[in-house]
Amino acid sequence: MSLLKYESQQREPLVDGNKDYHQVTEDIIGPIEMKPTKLWYVGFWISVGLLMFGVFSVYREVTYGIGQWNLNKTIGWGWDITNFVWWVGIGHAGTLISAILLLFRQGWRTGVNRAAEAMTIFAVMCAGQFPIWHMGRVWMAFFVLPYPNSRGPLWVNFNSPLLWDVFAISTYFTVSLLFWYSGLLPDFATVRDRAKTKFRKMMYGVAAFGWTGSTKHWQRHESLSLVLAGLSTPLVLSVHTIVSFDFATSVIPGWHTTIFPPYFVAGAIFSGFAMVQTLLIVVRKVMNLQDYITLGHIEAMNKVIVLTGSIVGCAYLTELFIAWYGQNPYEWYAFSQNRANIFTPYGWSYWLMMFCNVVSPQLFWSRKLRRNITVTFFMSIIVNIGMWYERFVIIVTSVYRDFLPSSWSTYYSPSIWEIGFYLGTFGLFFTCFFLFAKYFPVIAVSEIKAILKTSGENYKAKMTDIEKADAEKFYIEKVEHAH
Amino acid sequence: MSLTGSNADDRFTHLPSQTGAVALALLAKLGGAVTAPNIADAKLKAGIEKTAVVLSASKGAALVVSGSNDVNVQVVVNAINEAIGANGTTINWGATTNTRKGVDTEMLQLVNDMKAGSVGALLLYDCNPSYTFAGDFDAALAKVPVSVSFNITLDETSEQCKYVLPSHHWLESWGDAEPKSGYVSLLQPVINPLFKTRPFQTSLLKWAGNTSDYETYYKNFWSAKLGSVATWDKALQDGVIEPIVPVAGSGSFNGGVLAVAAAKLATTKSGEYEVVLYEKISVGNGAQANNPWLQELPDPISKVTWDNYAMISPGMAIKLLSLDVMNNQRQADAYEVTPEKPVIKITVNGKSLSLPALIIPGLNDATIAVAVGYGRGTTAKFKERDAQKTMETIGKASAGAGQNAYPLVISDGTSFHYASVAAVEKTSEVYPLAQTQVHGFTEGRPVIYETSLASYVKDPNEVLAHPRHEREILVPYGKEDFVKDGTLYPDFVKPGAKWGMSIDLNTCTGCSACVVACSAENNVSVVGKIQVQRAHEMHWLRIDRYFTGDLQNPDVVFQPMMCQHCDNAPCENVCPVAATNHSSEGLNQMTYNRCIGTRYCANNCPYKVRRFNWLDYNGADSFKDNQQSLIGTDTNEVINHMNDDLTRMVLNPDVTVRGRGVIEKCSFCVQRLQETKLEAKKAQDPSIIRNVKTACMQACPTNAISFGNVNDPQSEVSKARTDDSRNFYVLEQLHVLPNVSYLAKIRNTDRHIGHEEEHAAPVAPAAAGAKKEEAHTEATH
Repeated sequence: MSLLKYESQQREPLVDGNKDYHQVTEDIIGPIEMKPTKLWYVGFWISVGLLMFGVFSVYREVTYGIGQWNLNKTIGWGWDITNFVWWVGIGHAGTLISAILLLFRQGWRTGVNRAAEAMTIFAVMCAGQFPIWHMGRVWMAFFVLPYPNSRGPLWVNFNSPLLWDVFAISTYFTVSLLFWYSGLLPDFATVRDRAKTKFRKMMYGVAAFGWTGSTKHWQRHESLSLVLAGLSTPLVLSVHTIVSFDFATSVIPGWHTTIFPPYFVAGAIFSGFAMVQTLLIVVRKVMNLQDYITLGHIEAMNKVIVLTGSIVGCAYLTELFIAWYGQNPYEWYAFSQNRANIFTPYGWSYWLMMFCNVVSPQLFWSRKLRRNITVTFFMSIIVNIGMWYERFVIIVTSVYRDFLPSSWSTYYSPSIWEIGFYLGTFGLFFTCFFLFAKYFPVIAVSEIKAILKTSGENYKAKMTDIEKADAEKFYIEKVEHAH
Repeated sequence: MSLTGSNADDRFTHLPSQTGAVALALLAKLGGAVTAPNIADAKLKAGIEKTAVVLSASKGAALVVSGSNDVNVQVVVNAINEAIGANGTTINWGATTNTRKGVDTEMLQLVNDMKAGSVGALLLYDCNPSYTFAGDFDAALAKVPVSVSFNITLDETSEQCKYVLPSHHWLESWGDAEPKSGYVSLLQPVINPLFKTRPFQTSLLKWAGNTSDYETYYKNFWSAKLGSVATWDKALQDGVIEPIVPVAGSGSFNGGVLAVAAAKLATTKSGEYEVVLYEKISVGNGAQANNPWLQELPDPISKVTWDNYAMISPGMAIKLLSLDVMNNQRQADAYEVTPEKPVIKITVNGKSLSLPALIIPGLNDATIAVAVGYGRGTTAKFKERDAQKTMETIGKASAGAGQNAYPLVISDGTSFHYASVAAVEKTSEVYPLAQTQVHGFTEGRPVIYETSLASYVKDPNEVLAHPRHEREILVPYGKEDFVKDGTLYPDFVKPGAKWGMSIDLNTCTGCSACVVACSAENNVSVVGKIQVQRAHEMHWLRIDRYFTGDLQNPDVVFQPMMCQHCDNAPCENVCPVAATNHSSEGLNQMTYNRCIGTRYCANNCPYKVRRFNWLDYNGADSFKDNQQSLIGTDTNEVINHMNDDLTRMVLNPDVTVRGRGVIEKCSFCVQRLQETKLEAKKAQDPSIIRNVKTACMQACPTNAISFGNVNDPQSEVSKARTDDSRNFYVLEQLHVLPNVSYLAKIRNTDRHIGHEEEHAAPVAPAAAGAKKEEAHTEATH
C-alpha cells in the first residue's frame, strides 16, 4: 500500500458498492454501447428544438439588426452580456475541479471532473455566442483578431477590455478543451477495445489517438495533466477577472468598482458549482451512477457553494458600504436608488439577487440539508437564478440611470428574440450535454480506477481489519521487542 | 408651458379665462381707469403687483404682449402699453409685423358667402382651410362652382377642389415677401422644378391676359422699382431690401373702447377645466406635419415626438388620474418608465377628443394644453379616414401622427377662440408617447449651473463655486493643474488646431433649430415613432430640458448636449477595434467602416450621446431591402423616405450615410472643418479658419453656440471661454476633459434660483438691468 494514497477511515468512501475494475468499466462504458433510452431522446430533441429557436432568433437579429432586441440608447447591453457573463461564470466550476482540485489532490474530484469539464466547455461555447452575435455587424467580427492585414498600421485596440475578453475566453476554451480531451484518451481507448462493431472501433480508435496504455503513455499523460492543470489554475482566477474588467475599467457608476475581480471569481465558482449540482443530480439518477457520484460528492460541492456564496455576500455588502463611504453621489445613487431601493423600477431585481445568492445558500450550514438531494437540486436552481440576476443587476441597473438624468431610460424588458437567443444557448448546451452523456464516458473511468483501491467502499470495509492487524503487528514488532 | 414661458425670468400662471382679468388688474395697478377684478391666486396677485412695479420703473423701455385672440384682451393690453409709454418707443407702428394678417371675421364671412352660394370661384394658395378652419368648410366648398388649389402638395382642401394646379415648391420659386413693413425679402430658386408644376403667379398672369411668365414679370417689376438691373441684382444677392432710414411711427390709443372691452371681459366665465390650443414650434399649424425632421424633433418642453397630447399639471394628474408624480416616487417612476400614458377625454362644445395625458410641471392646475397641427388627413369630411389613405394623399410622415384638435376651436361668429371651458374625464385606455427624455429633473446633480442676476452681481464667482472646489480636491496635494495633475497618465501637447465649442445656456432658448440643422447637415436618420418610443432615435444633438427650483412653477434650463469630444474619452479606450479614436485636432472621431457595433462606447459615454443604428433606417444596410418586412411592427413607413430617389435628395453628399449596426455621433461637422481648412490653405491665410461654422451654430438664432480653434485666442470659442465666472464643463470631475464648455445661466430676477436653500439673498426688485426687464405675461399657459 502506497502511503501517498493513504485515505483516512474518517472519510466516507468515494465509490460506493462492491466494485471491481471490470464493474466500473461496465457501469460507465456500458451506456455508450447501449441504445439511448426514451428519456434521452425526449431530452435531446427538446434541446435541439430550443437550439433551433435560438438559431432563428439570431437569424432575425443578424438580418434585421440589434433593434430586434429591446436595448436602447441608454442601455447598450442587457440580456446579451448578462447571459455572456453568466455562462462564462458557470464554466468556472469545471476548471476549478479539474485543475485546482487536482493540484490539491482532492480525490473526490474524480467522480465529477469529467462532467464538470464538459460543462465548462459547453458553457464557454454558449458564452462565446453572446459577444459574437451581439455585435451590430457580426460579419466584421474578425476585426477583433490581431491578424496581419492590408490596412496599414490598423490594429486592434489593446486598451480595450473587450479585446482582453477575446484573448481570455479563447485561451480558456482552448486549455479547457485540451485538458478535457487529454483526460478522455484512456477512456476512449477502453471503449475502442471493447467495441463490438467496426464503426465504433474506428471512431473511438481515431478519437483515442492510438492510446495503448503503455507505461510511457501513462507517464506522459500524467505529466501533461499536471502541465495543463498548472496552466488552467491561473485561468480560474484570470478569466472572470478579465470579464469583470469590462465593467470595472469603465466610468459608469455601479460598473466602476475595484472589488469586481475577486467578487466575480467567487461568483463564478459559486454559480459553476450550482450548475454542476443541477446537472449531476440529474445524471446520476438517470444514468444510475449513484455509486460514483455519491452524497459525499454532493456535500463537498455544497460546502463550496456556501463558502463562495458567503464570499459573494460579503462582496455585495462591501460594495454597498464603499458606495456610501466613498461619497461619490453618482455611485451612491446607483446603489441606493437604482438597486437597493425596492420601489425604483429595478429594485426588485437587486433584492431577488440578494435573496438567492446571499440568504438562501446559508441553508447549507446544516449538514442535513447539505446531504438532501431535493434541497440541493432546488438550491442549485435558485443559485443559478440569483447569479443570473447578479449580472443583470450590475449591467442594467447601472446604466439605465447613470450620470445625466436626461438620458435615463424607460423600462427595459427583453424582446422575444432576446429571450430566444438565451433559450437557444440552453438548447446548445443541453444538445451538447446529451450527446456527451451518450457518446462519452461521463465519469473518468481510469481515474476512478486509480482511487478504487484507496477510497472504494469495498476496500474501506476490508481495510478496517487489515489496518487493525497492521497496527497490532506494529505494536508487537516495535513495542514488545523493545521490552 | 410654452417655449416663451420656459424662457421667462419670472413666470406666473393663470387660467385662459383669466387672461382678461389679469390684464385688467395689471392696467389698474398701472393707474388705468378700470376696476381691478379680484384675483384669488395669491402668487398670481403678487406677480401682477411685481410686474406693475417693474413696468412703472421702466416706462418707455417696456412692452407687454399677449397671445390671446380676444379683441377685448388686446384692447386692454394696448391700454397697458399706452400707460407704460410703449407706443412709439418699444412699439414701432411704422414697421409692423406682417406674418399674421388674417382677419377672423372676413374668413367667417367668406365661408358664409360660400354656403349661401354667392361665391363663384375660390382660388386657394398656401392654405388648408378644410383642415384648419373650425367649422364645416367642406360643405361650403362644395357649393362653390369653381375651386382651384395652387397648393404645392396634396392636402385636405386640394383633394376637394375642382382643379388642382400645383405651384412650384418654394425652393423652386421666384418670389418676394414683406414680413415686416419696409423690409422685403427676395426668393430665388435653388433648383430646377422637379415636377410639372407652374407658379400660381404665372397662372394668374395668364388668366389676366398677360403673356409673360412670372419670372420675367417679377424681374421687370423689381428692376423697374429699384431703378436698374444692377440694383436689382445687388438686392437679389443680398436677399433682402431694407429701408435706408428705418421707419419709425407712433400711434395713439383710443381710450374710448377700453370701458366696453373691460365690461365684456368682466363677464368671462371660468370652468373647472379649461383647454387651450397652441401651435408647436415643430409642425406649427399642421402645414409642416409631413416633414419627418420636424415630426421627429422633440418638443422643447415635453420632449415628445410624432404626437400631440393633453399637457396637464401634476396637480391635475392627482385630481384626474390619481397619479402623484411629485411626491410618490413609485408612481412617478411607473409613469416615467412606460411610454403608455393614460388617455383622457376632452369635450368642448359637444366635440370630444381622446388624448394621452402628459404631466408637465409648471402648468396651471386647471388648464389642459393641446397642440393643433396633428391628425392630418382627418377633417370633418374624412373623419374616419385611415392612416393608409392619409399616407397616400398627405404623406408618410403625417399619417397617424396625433389627432386633429382644430374641431375644439370655438367660433363666436366674429372671431375664433383657442381656449375654452372643457369637460374632462379619464378613460381606461392608454396610448404610447414617444418621448426622447423621460426624466426632467437634475436630481440635484451639478450638470447645469444657474443663478439669479442679483446674486451674480453680488458675487460673480459664486455660481461656479462647486466645480471649482471639485477641481481643487481632485488634484493631488501640492499640485494645481486639474487637467495635467488630475490623472496618473501623461499629458500630451496639443499643438495646431484644437476644436472646441462653447454653449451659452443664458442665450439658448431651447428652440431646437440646431437639432434640425444637425439632422439636415449630417444625414441623421429619421427613425419613426415606434423606434423613438424604444429610445432608438438617432439625433446627434439633443436639448436636455431640466425643471429646477420650485416644482409647482419651475424654472426651465435647456442644455444642448452632443458629443463632448473628450480629450480623455472613455469611449475611445474601450473599443476593441479602435473604431473611435482621437484626432490630432482634438476631435473624437468615428470610423464607421471599422465599427463592429459592440456598443461598449455608448455604454461608457457619461453623456450618452452615442447613437447606434439598431435597424436599417435608411436603406444603407449591407443587406438589401430588409427593412420592408418590419414596417408596421418595428418601424414606421416614414423610414422608407430614404429609399426614395426624390427624398434622398435631402442627403448631404459630403457626409456618409451610416448603415445598420454601427455607432454614430456628433463629428463637430468635420466635413465643414476640412473644407474651411482647405480654403485657408489655398488662401494661405489661417485666419480664414475663424469663419468655420458648425451646422448647429449656424442655425442658432441667438448665437448661443460658439465654435473654433481653442488654441487661437481670436477664435469665437476662445472669446466665449474668457468668462471664467460662467464657463464650466459638464461632469468635469470625471476627468474626461470635454471640449465642449457651457456658460452658466443667469436669470434676471431677484428670486432664489436652483435647489440650494442657504444662499438666498433677495435684493431690491430689478436692482440691475431694469431697463431690459420684460414682463412676459404668459397669456395662457
